Amino acid sequence: MAYILFTLSVLLVMGFVGFSSKPSPIYGGLALIISGVVGCVIVLNCGGVYMGLMMFLVYLGGMMVVFGYTTAMAIEEYPETWGSGLEVLGGLLVGLMMEVMLVLWVLSLDEAVVVVVGFSDTGDWVIFEGEGSGLIRGDSIGAGALYDYGRWLVVVAGWTLFVGVYVVIEIVRGN
Amino acid sequence: MTPTHMNIMLAFTISLLGMLTYRSHLVASLLCLEGMMMSLFIMATLIASNTHFPLVNIMPIILLVFAACETAVGLALLISISNTYGLDYVHNLNLLQC
Repeated sequence: MAYILFTLSVLLVMGFVGFSSKPSPIYGGLALIISGVVGCVIVLNCGGVYMGLMMFLVYLGGMMVVFGYTTAMAIEEYPETWGSGLEVLGGLLVGLMMEVMLVLWVLSLDEAVVVVVGFSDTGDWVIFEGEGSGLIRGDSIGAGALYDYGRWLVVVAGWTLFVGVYVVIEIVRGN
Repeated sequence: MTPTHMNIMLAFTISLLGMLTYRSHLVASLLCLEGMMMSLFIMATLIASNTHFPLVNIMPIILLVFAACETAVGLALLISISNTYGLDYVHNLNLLQC
């Protein structure tokens, strides 16, 4: 249980290898969704409740759904999965082997003296809270500050989204 | 730098390599671009949580907004390619070939 964050990050890398080895895009989308779920749990483990929720809603619920039906429109008849063909399988196995060897090497380090990467300062990962109003602090304060200190940024981002929708309509128009 | 940070940066590099190599589909590179954005989001949120500096949470939120715009434009280009050529194969994009 002490190494849960490290295990989740290893699973994240394996999920990323799953879609970077370029199977057919529908399977790549599946691997990206699984990686998104693992990444959201990583964020939740570090106390980022609001950011994890936003990642689920916006990222997985919004962008992956759009990717899903766009891929369904532009897909071939026999999509190739990870087991069909040597290229995708080779890429996946090379990626997984690289990650396993990296994990074994990292776990064999005793002191973080010679190498930068080490387990010696995992005390930084402890999340502590101050007293009082403990239920509404945390990530929500940073998201609330977006509308306070960064109100011009919100206006610019909203306008960018609006113009982006217009750009999309003009691109898809065709002629 | 803890091993979790190293793993997330490794995930970013793997997605970058996946985006730069083409096989047959164009939308697979767009998926790898989404992976890059997601790894950046996770990294920024972890840094904001671990340095106890919640104001930095503005950055991943805005990153997500602009990544959504970028996804929309990329998918619109994909749809226009798919309307012209039938599928989004990369070897169809050969108008500039000498």
